[in-house]
Amino acid sequence: MHILRHLQSDRAVGLLFIAPFVITALFFMVYPIAEAIRMAFYSYNPLRPDLTAFVGLANFEYIFEDPLFWASFWQATVWTLLSILFQTVFGVGLALLLHRALFGMAFFRGLLLFPYIVPTVVIALIWRWIFNPEIGVVNYSLIASGIIKEPIYWLSTPAMAMASTIMLNVWKYTPFVVICVLARLQSVPLELYDAAKVDGAGTMRRFFDVTLPQLKEVLIVVIVFRTIWTFNKFEEIYLLTKGGPGTSTFNLAVYSFEQSMASLRLGVGAATGVVMMIILLIGSIVYLRVAGFGENEK
Amino acid sequence: MTKKFGNFPLDRRTFLGGMAAAGASAGSLFGTTPSFGQSKKTGTVRVWGEPGPYGGVGVAAMNEWAQKNAPGLKFEIETIPWDGVYVKLMTDLAAKRPPSLISVESPIATQMMAEGLLLPVDDMVDKIGRNRLVDGVKWDYWGNWKGKQYVIPAHHQPHLLLVRMDIIKELGLKDPETWDWNDLLHAAKTISEKKPNMAGFCMALGRNLCTDYHFAALLHSAGGRMFDPANKYQVVFDSPQTVEALNFVRELRPYMPKGAVEYSFLQVVDAHVTGQTAMSFYWGRTLGRAAEEAKPIFEATEAFNHARHPKTGRRNNWNDFQGWCIPAQNNPFIDEVKAALLYQQTSKEWLIKYCHSLMPNVAPTYKDIADAPELKDHPFYKSKPKTVDTYFRTSLANSSSTANEMLQGANPLAGYVHGRSVLAQTVQKVVIDNMKPEDAAKWGARELEAIRKENVRLLG
Repeated sequence: MHILRHLQSDRAVGLLFIAPFVITALFFMVYPIAEAIRMAFYSYNPLRPDLTAFVGLANFEYIFEDPLFWASFWQATVWTLLSILFQTVFGVGLALLLHRALFGMAFFRGLLLFPYIVPTVVIALIWRWIFNPEIGVVNYSLIASGIIKEPIYWLSTPAMAMASTIMLNVWKYTPFVVICVLARLQSVPLELYDAAKVDGAGTMRRFFDVTLPQLKEVLIVVIVFRTIWTFNKFEEIYLLTKGGPGTSTFNLAVYSFEQSMASLRLGVGAATGVVMMIILLIGSIVYLRVAGFGENEK
Repeated sequence: MTKKFGNFPLDRRTFLGGMAAAGASAGSLFGTTPSFGQSKKTGTVRVWGEPGPYGGVGVAAMNEWAQKNAPGLKFEIETIPWDGVYVKLMTDLAAKRPPSLISVESPIATQMMAEGLLLPVDDMVDKIGRNRLVDGVKWDYWGNWKGKQYVIPAHHQPHLLLVRMDIIKELGLKDPETWDWNDLLHAAKTISEKKPNMAGFCMALGRNLCTDYHFAALLHSAGGRMFDPANKYQVVFDSPQTVEALNFVRELRPYMPKGAVEYSFLQVVDAHVTGQTAMSFYWGRTLGRAAEEAKPIFEATEAFNHARHPKTGRRNNWNDFQGWCIPAQNNPFIDEVKAALLYQQTSKEWLIKYCHSLMPNVAPTYKDIADAPELKDHPFYKSKPKTVDTYFRTSLANSSSTANEMLQGANPLAGYVHGRSVLAQTVQKVVIDNMKPEDAAKWGARELEAIRKENVRLLG
């Protein structure tokens, strides 16, 4: 009787409901993270698992002494900051446009999701064709319209390759920002705008003094998420440029992959992952503190 | 409309399909297939092969064996893109599910052999015939480590200098057969200057295997190498020969397509087949593509041994002595694979079909096949006998490889070198980062030394 009563308690039911998430998280989040942290202290070659050995901090020493790690770190920083900047600016701008009550707006809102829902591998391959210097539609259009005379080698020079990967990232993930911002815009009380108008505020003043403060919380969250996801991004860069030309578009995820798969240093790859995790953890905490996220709740 | 296969009134797929059907009824020509009791095992025998129809032809022969001797088994080819070999290898080995048979490029086979991951196959060599190899090659070239043979020949596959002879004649350039490096450079420059919208020359310069292979041939022609097998595989890459080869690439660069810095295998073929370049370094695959997609370019293109190095006189090509190897661990079908492979290796029809499946990309390895009139019964052989013979025979005198530099000893470190694209990165330091070749050679030598130190266990 006592056991039955215990099983029917709110506490037990709550535990039961949360159990699927906890079990899934343990298997697919906690275990891989713990395993990556463990592996970061070992030398592990998948061809020769019999030679696995504890190496202490040697993997971390290796990456911190590797110029390519630091180059990848700075390139990842540039790629992340510029991607997030453009995504935020375009995302807010598009959300404001789509917030208007015009005929057919629902269609455009749906269309906007297209880049976000198409698999990255498809998009990257399509963009490789689009950017192809000889037969790509971008160069063809630019030449046909007289904007350029010689084809641009989008993926063949370090600066252009970085710009191209940023363009791809911005194109694909701006819709995420739009959706979040649009949802928030729809819940901003109209009375605030009416009051601002009565006080004589113009369009720009209403944007900076009413809209932007209302968007602050959602933008903070969006920027944190997008920063984490962009900094960790692997597939877009790898599929579009493979980190090249040279190593000019390497980020830390590509660096980790190359160390693990090409160089068979899985320990070094894991150590890179651990460093990325720490960087993002510290960065996120600092950013949330500085931005004052959640202060209103206090 | 059916595309004609050379002068054949068939397309390539129909041609292959017909041959496969004929082969299925013909069986083994020699009648020397070793006896093998019926296997009652069931399941799929996974076989890895590189892109191209020949792996599928090899597996078709094995399935013919299976129909008679192991009806519960089916051999299945898994095609691995060249640049994906490492990832596939690592993930499947880590998951303890390697294939039962692998046809893979020689540097990776050599690495696996030295790691102790492959099964010795000396018993199979005896049954295939030790004296059967074409003149100018040894069993060692495919994979011999510490006196044991680990690899059974699938083919040899040299990359050569492909030249649009219509352009050469139009511009009054010398016969490419007589060229040295200076002549090649002069020809590339002349074509670039006189033929608008056409590059004089194309090779891969991306961070990939293809660039590794193309540069290795230049390095070996200059007399340089990565490691010295006679001296415990000491790194000898930081040398005047490496600098000279890098300088040559730098000199050729202005006459290559601008996008070459991201080119790999496919893009070099594309550049030649679409007429973007008049000359390219490539294996025989380019001719197969051109025959199907650009007949005039196919007809105008001939293959030559590479331009001589002005001082050494060497004309090295990067020849993939590619073979079949059998993973020793987690492999439930070892006996069946050995028997099926022997069946394929001793069947004249299947070996000829293998070569015919992508002419002249995969060259025959056995004398009886190379000399067989049936091998020459192919439209490419009839329309381009010299080019096919250059791929199949005369290139052998200039063979080299990163897996066996200058054919002076197997290099178990080559797989790691290519996995990390060390040679390609060295080249890119010069052509993208404008690093001095001397400094790039030093950088490459440091990378190679790191690989040597990490894998010293492989060197015995």
